[in-house]
Amino acid sequence: MATDKKDNHWKEDFPVYQLESTQVSRRDFAKFLCLVSGGLAVGSGYVAIKANFFPPDKIVGEHFVCKKHELPVGGTRSFVINGSTIPYILIRMENDEFRAYEQKCTHLSCAVFYKPGSGKIECPCHNGLFDAFTGEVLAGPPPRPLPRLTVVIKGEEVYVKDFKPDNDKPDPNRQSRS
Amino acid sequence: MSNFREAQNQAHPNKTNTLMLALIMILILNVSIQVWLLYTALNNALEKNTDIAFPSFIASSILFLIGFGWLYFLPSGPRVTK
Repeated sequence: MATDKKDNHWKEDFPVYQLESTQVSRRDFAKFLCLVSGGLAVGSGYVAIKANFFPPDKIVGEHFVCKKHELPVGGTRSFVINGSTIPYILIRMENDEFRAYEQKCTHLSCAVFYKPGSGKIECPCHNGLFDAFTGEVLAGPPPRPLPRLTVVIKGEEVYVKDFKPDNDKPDPNRQSRS
Repeated sequence: MSNFREAQNQAHPNKTNTLMLALIMILILNVSIQVWLLYTALNNALEKNTDIAFPSFIASSILFLIGFGWLYFLPSGPRVTK
């Protein structure tokens, strides 16, 4: 039924002025800052719980990668360990030593590759450079060394296992760069 | 019966600007410290230094509670009468 009088009852149900709905008041901004603060506290809690109670799975035992002759000097081979999706690379250095690292750059997880003859592992995304012998950061934005595996040679076969600093060279305690 | 907020508004009607600015600055400072705490905790956790994670969480929670408590002192602004 049409009426000439405008029915304004709906305003009682939505008592918000148009100006208030389009502008962010300082009150709202302060409340939003408090919300962000709560989010950051929750994030810190998540990091604390994840780091202390749910550490990443360790690699158990030795895992076969390839035969020694399948990898030429200066060559690399990417592999994954059974039951894991983390990509690794095995490098046969120019001095015939083997090294294995996680293939994800510690900066933004780009795939890294070995530059043959240079002794360096490069991340092409932001030109991060790692030492191919130790995994330490040489240049660029990566904040941490590449996670490393210990390579075990048994005759002609190449195996990898969880890296312990005592297995190869003693690794000095790394300083936090944060 | 009036509460603290109403009494404050009546006693200091022209100080809302100052109060609001102080509150927002402290909240921004709190959030900045929390960002730094989270960044440090995460970086250290990834380097397997997990000892810093819980103290950082506790500090961050305290800062949040301080910020949350601050909201009580937020000036309410002029009341709109219909």
